[in-house]
Amino acid sequence: MSRKAQARAEARARARSQRQKRRRPDYMLVSAIMLFFFSAFLLIALNGELEWQGFALAVIVPVLIYLSTMWLPRFFPADKLLLAIANFLCALGVLVLYSTDRGAGTSRGMQQAVYYGAGIIAMLVCIFVVRYIKRWRFLMKVVMMGAAALLVLPLAIGTEQNGATNWINLGGTSVQPSEIVKLALLLVLSWYMSHRSFWPWFLFAMFALLVLMLQRDLGTALIYYATALFLFYASTGNLPLTGLGVLGGGGAAVAGYMMFAHVKKRVAIWRNPWIYYETSGYQIVQTLMAIASGGLFGVGLGLGAPRVIPVYFTDCIFAVICEQFGVIFGALVLAMYIILILRGVSIASAARQSFHALLAMGATVMLGVQTFVIIGGVLKLIPLTGVTMPFVSYGGTSLVSCMGLIGLIQGVASVNQDDLAYDYEISHSLQEAAMLPEADREG
Amino acid sequence: MKQQRLRFRVLAALLVGLMLLSGTYGIYSVTAYGNRWVGSARNTRFRSVKNSVIPGDILDRNGVVVATTNENGERVYQSNILSRSSMVHLLGDTEGNVANGVESFQASYLWGFETGLSERVTALLQNQTRKGDNITITADSKLCTEIVNLFRNGEKTRGKCGAVVVMNYKTGEVLALVSLPVYDPTNITEQVKTSEQHPFWNRALQGTLPPGSTFKIVTAAAALSNLADAQTRVFTCTGATQVMDHVIHDYGMAQHGEVGLARAFRVSCNNAFAQAALLMGDAALRKTAEDFGFNDNFLFRDLVVENSVYPTKNRNNFEIAWSGAGQSQVAATPMHMCMIAAAIANDGVMMEPRLLSRVESPAGAVRLKYSQKVYRTACTPEAAQILDGYMKDVVKSGTGTRAKVDGLTIAGKTGSAEGSNNGRDVTHAWFVGYIDSDRYPYAVSVVVEEGGSGGSVAAPVAQGIFTYLRDNAGL
Repeated sequence: MSRKAQARAEARARARSQRQKRRRPDYMLVSAIMLFFFSAFLLIALNGELEWQGFALAVIVPVLIYLSTMWLPRFFPADKLLLAIANFLCALGVLVLYSTDRGAGTSRGMQQAVYYGAGIIAMLVCIFVVRYIKRWRFLMKVVMMGAAALLVLPLAIGTEQNGATNWINLGGTSVQPSEIVKLALLLVLSWYMSHRSFWPWFLFAMFALLVLMLQRDLGTALIYYATALFLFYASTGNLPLTGLGVLGGGGAAVAGYMMFAHVKKRVAIWRNPWIYYETSGYQIVQTLMAIASGGLFGVGLGLGAPRVIPVYFTDCIFAVICEQFGVIFGALVLAMYIILILRGVSIASAARQSFHALLAMGATVMLGVQTFVIIGGVLKLIPLTGVTMPFVSYGGTSLVSCMGLIGLIQGVASVNQDDLAYDYEISHSLQEAAMLPEADREG
Repeated sequence: MKQQRLRFRVLAALLVGLMLLSGTYGIYSVTAYGNRWVGSARNTRFRSVKNSVIPGDILDRNGVVVATTNENGERVYQSNILSRSSMVHLLGDTEGNVANGVESFQASYLWGFETGLSERVTALLQNQTRKGDNITITADSKLCTEIVNLFRNGEKTRGKCGAVVVMNYKTGEVLALVSLPVYDPTNITEQVKTSEQHPFWNRALQGTLPPGSTFKIVTAAAALSNLADAQTRVFTCTGATQVMDHVIHDYGMAQHGEVGLARAFRVSCNNAFAQAALLMGDAALRKTAEDFGFNDNFLFRDLVVENSVYPTKNRNNFEIAWSGAGQSQVAATPMHMCMIAAAIANDGVMMEPRLLSRVESPAGAVRLKYSQKVYRTACTPEAAQILDGYMKDVVKSGTGTRAKVDGLTIAGKTGSAEGSNNGRDVTHAWFVGYIDSDRYPYAVSVVVEEGGSGGSVAAPVAQGIFTYLRDNAGL
């Protein structure tokens, strides 16, 4: 074969592999997601007054999606489906926030895009933490101290928002420490549980719960409690103690109902919001009307009256999604969270170290519980508590912590892949060794 | 490790189960209650679509346009002031004044939310403003106008609050639904907004009142199925029965002596029905009341009806005895009482009340056609037949003689229900009844708030309606 013909054949082969690469499911999925957001932002930007923000976001958001789902996995093995879903939900948050910005004089969409970028960085950091940090025995104590200090901070210098004192001001931006401490809580829980020592994580979790109660951040306390309890069950399988924990939680809920007037009110609103329409039931009534007004297919992107709902940009953003995109789309968003949970659990199941398994499982449980608490609340299945919808709700700290959770799961996934590759190598070298003649091996 | 994996799966199943529960609950509640939420007077969302959609027309059963949109995009109603006022509660509005009228409850049709994607795209390409669907309702605008006239011309009803419902007891079609006082939808004055009588309130569907003696239909049905000797047993009415420390008395302090169930029904004897209620007990009476739809969560397709109440708390003998006569926190809407009379006329079968007869897209495609549905079976055909006889006697020679109409067999029951308004004791006048005829299968319920005696105040209104129905056959 001449050299020319050889070069041509090589070029053909390269082109074929390129084509095959483009046809790979991950490329298809991510391309579809990028196209969706590109056209959605463009649609809003072109409709009515031209705004530079819309055009900017039409470029920025797809680029961020590409970077974090296709480019980052070049440097370490990752679970691309999980990445794609998390990024889709983040981008959906930016889109919905931007669509509600129009005519309101806010620029939450742009801010959320910045937070999204920060979230990707947080995810990277968490992946590195899981992959490369090995000296946890000492570090865990530092994490506990730091987290405890961070958690107490709002009690000293915090500001009150919506009845809970869980914010601190840092140079003009407010930060919610309890969101960041979630990551620390998971590290602490899974480390000590995997080492079968009970008291360190138990005392830490109790302390965190107490502080959250003092800050009256009941929604977050619920998430902490459920995560710790579920993880305890997963690590020990001790059903009697887990049952006791469920009973204890139920008892605390009843005690809270008896003791705090605002909890009582929440429950009363949940049972029949319509009679409190003028006052405290207004939010949930508006939420329900928004969801119903969207119908099956929604009123359309950027349409409807989302701003009628109080805190439409955080707690009730699911109602805005349902109004604009319809109930079917809302159900699909729920399905995405379900896939996210299933991926998380399968990554946790594949982990070799107990610490990693519990870490990935804990992050999955935390995301799942939080999603249920807020979506169940918005749909009036359970009383509405003020927690954010993971990835979608407006808010830097919340987005950063959720992407951090994804980072923890991804870190475990990458370690799993490394382990598999290592197994493959070992088995190959063993096979090669087996194929060698007896004499050679001796020699 | 292996067991841990198993537990991971348990947790995964739990989490996924919670998600599926949320999703299922969400879809269920939107399908079951969605229209009610959208149609609530509190929904201000219509303002956002008003610029992009021309709402469809509403026609009555004879094709009279009762609501349409003019060139300026304003909603206009019938030109005659009395006609458009008489349908104001039935139609409602999108301003949030009257809740759950056709204009808001059927907004998904009128405002074109149900329009398919292809139709939307076509309209977009042709640069037309999207048009909503046209709705034909089962109501008769002339009958509604006549009812307001009857109320205004009657000496004892003039200026009073009240409600009238007329429905076809065989199909469930609602022919008229009027709440008084009415107001002019095109000219809502300050006086209307601040009136003590709350003209925005749809009393026919939302106004629960003690049904008083009209509830004796239910008590009698309960007696027929629970007391073996119900038709032969003799009750003694001394005009005052002592129950616990209280006294059950009759309207106008009448004494009826020894009465059977039939006579007690005809003269509306509270004492006999109180004794019957005590005899069967609370559970039996409640069971029958619930068979007739009390304590049920009404989820009708076209109408939002306030739930009726048969009390379940603080039941002592005095309360139970008074329940037999439709007092003691028993409460029902005029709509529901009309359905009860209709069920007796229809051999015990209660039809779902319906208001939509047809929905058509602007291009003429039929989106929805009337279909009747049985709501529930209230009592056996035998019991219904006995009660039918009792109710005919009421009109023939009992308390309801003023509802009599020449040439028709009318059955009915009067009620003078004791209620209170701002701490003041008042008596609401009720009449429920129907025409026993295949040609005129209509049931009527009339309530005149603070009207006094049902037989002399509400029955004449019903008589007027029956007469109108007779003279305008072929509705």
